[in-house]
Amino acid sequence: MNFDFTDEEKNFFSEIEKTMETVAENRNFESGDLDTVRGNLVEALTALASSGYLKLGLNAEDAPVTGTLPLMAAMEQLSGISPSLFLAVEMSTRMFGQVAALGQEAGKGTDILSALAAGKTMGAVALSEQSVNVENDPLTTTATREGDELLVNGTKSLVINGPLADWFAVVGMLDEKAAVFLIDKKTPGLKLTDRQRTMGYDGVAISGLELDGCRVPADRVLGPFDAAPFLEQLKLWENQILIASSLGLMQASYETARDYAKQHRSGGKPIIAYQEVGFKLSEMLTLYQTARLYAYRAAWIADENPKEAGVLTLCAKVFCTESAEVVAGKSLQIQSKDGYLAGGKAERSYRCAKYGQIAGVSTEIARVKIGDAALGRL
Amino acid sequence: MDFAFTREQLMFKKEVIRFAKKEIVPRVQEHDLKEAFDFESFRKMGEFGLLGLHFPTEYGGEGADVVTTVLAGEALGEAGVDGGLTLAYGAHTFLCADTLFRNGSEEQRRKYIPKLASGEWIGCMGLSEPDAGSDVASMTTTAEKRGGSYVLNGTKMWITNGPIADVAVVYAKTDPDQAHAGISAFIVEKGTPGFTPGRPLIKMGVRTSQTSELVFSNCEIPAENLLGNEGEGFLYAMQTVEWDRSALLAPFVGVTNYMLKKCSDYAKGRVQFGRPIGKFQAIKHKLADMRIFGEAARTLVYRIAWCKDQGRPLNHLEAAIAKLYIGDWSLAVTNDAVTLHGGYGYTHEFDVERIFRDTRLAPIGGGTSEIQKMIISKLI
Repeated sequence: MNFDFTDEEKNFFSEIEKTMETVAENRNFESGDLDTVRGNLVEALTALASSGYLKLGLNAEDAPVTGTLPLMAAMEQLSGISPSLFLAVEMSTRMFGQVAALGQEAGKGTDILSALAAGKTMGAVALSEQSVNVENDPLTTTATREGDELLVNGTKSLVINGPLADWFAVVGMLDEKAAVFLIDKKTPGLKLTDRQRTMGYDGVAISGLELDGCRVPADRVLGPFDAAPFLEQLKLWENQILIASSLGLMQASYETARDYAKQHRSGGKPIIAYQEVGFKLSEMLTLYQTARLYAYRAAWIADENPKEAGVLTLCAKVFCTESAEVVAGKSLQIQSKDGYLAGGKAERSYRCAKYGQIAGVSTEIARVKIGDAALGRL
Repeated sequence: MDFAFTREQLMFKKEVIRFAKKEIVPRVQEHDLKEAFDFESFRKMGEFGLLGLHFPTEYGGEGADVVTTVLAGEALGEAGVDGGLTLAYGAHTFLCADTLFRNGSEEQRRKYIPKLASGEWIGCMGLSEPDAGSDVASMTTTAEKRGGSYVLNGTKMWITNGPIADVAVVYAKTDPDQAHAGISAFIVEKGTPGFTPGRPLIKMGVRTSQTSELVFSNCEIPAENLLGNEGEGFLYAMQTVEWDRSALLAPFVGVTNYMLKKCSDYAKGRVQFGRPIGKFQAIKHKLADMRIFGEAARTLVYRIAWCKDQGRPLNHLEAAIAKLYIGDWSLAVTNDAVTLHGGYGYTHEFDVERIFRDTRLAPIGGGTSEIQKMIISKLI
């Protein structure tokens, strides 16, 4: 048992934080038109590439740190800088990257992965359709074989990085199993919908995708895989990203509230001196610090005991995403009218927090799965 | 960073669970109903080595590290040992014996630790008073130096093992004009003239632990019964916080696993509307919340234990966070356990109602949740 990171890991985390703080000085990552968002992402990816951050979790031999736990801690650094930037970077690098890496053994997609690790390309995973719950509602995106190519048809929604991605990992059905079709943005038959606006993550470019007879060469097809375990794996990766995102939201919410409470005076004293405020901060910190440990342990078990990883990651995901909303809410309350004004970290975190509970495996479905694990064979 | 236990630790945990299920658990409900302390189980815990687990072998202990000691507490909870007995064990070993060991002279250690480690003697700690609970520095029990003795006067309250203890570590003011710096610690043995344990208090939960006042009326003890140095008593009391935030919280981690198993079994067997209630999402939701809480509690407790094994000074912020989280959030899951069992959950037929009552102490004892919030808000 050891609750410390190594010095090498700590130095790496610190480097990520410093690098991104420098990039963040000159940019607002939380809003903007597509050109602005693209510019933000390009600059961030370039900075992150130089540190090796983009290689984490992608089986790269020269990754600066290895293992899911250091990856989680590294992601935590980025999520503390900007929720929108974090989600965009991670859905490209980790989500798209890990999906694309499924073809590594067969020599597929290595060119894409190299460019991804170098910050030279952006990816998007197109999974959700009418429902985010792809386990209960079968995927309707399908592919049929035509010679050496596959014809892909379907409609996807809520594709993070959709408007900006160079590559799409489209998840659909092939021969009654799940497969991934790596599709270049210029492929005929691939059409993006208008940018989808969401409650939070204002600095993320999201769109839908329509695939009408998109031709995909065989060497850009990964799988097919048995659908259930494959979708479970995708959701695990997404959940890990959402867990890390929640940590960043809590950090921002807690720190702004704490700093505000120490400076803002009422009745002749800083408001932190009032128990109503001090106690809220204590509750916030309790949830935030517990969430961090929870995230680390869930990441650790993903490598140590993959069989247990599914349930524990779901536990961590429920805890962290729900805590993020609570912590952000208390932060708003402490900051009163100042917290309620648009543009603040607390109100942004509050708007972003709900996504974590909906995306990946929703908290409702997560609880059902955790409950089922407790029940065993029923 | 690595959250793994060693193989030896995991095997030890299994042994403790096996021991507890065989030797202790069959008598738990009966003792809870009678509000009786289970002396037999306590002695067996001593024979098994649990009561002195972390003390060096030359004092009758097992030389175990802190993580292993805390794991034993979790194992007791997971086996189904009640909160009363684990509280009695905690107060005996960590609040009394450990304080004595850590701060006592070699002579005091040799005299008391073997007896406490074996369970031959039962120990308690007298710190709180009727008017000094959270605000312990305002205690009014005094210890006046008179020649080769100290004379104690005052009353202690909420003392776990008070009615049955053979020896007590008692905190009293040697300098009543001071707050924290005026407090000293003393060893008082049962039967000392002027020392009267009160009658057991009837409590909502942890009923198998005996709780009472300790009354000191011109109670004269030899000067060599001073523990450590005058004026350092408060420091000694605060040293117990590490144990309070790990070993004394560990049974809550274990009992959550126990409850989860019990609730799952019930949910599988109880049929309503033509199917086991475990098929209903609302029930799965409750089981999930139990699991989610238990996993969170586990990491908090073992972080403190591990840091103590590394010899690091107590991180008061982490300790307060652990106590606050487990104290407050445990109530919801025990409540759910009762609700899940329906009408049966409200009766003594299933032990979830006892666990619900026992757990109600969690946000109160050892430093209330409000105090933890005060500590945290001051430290940030």
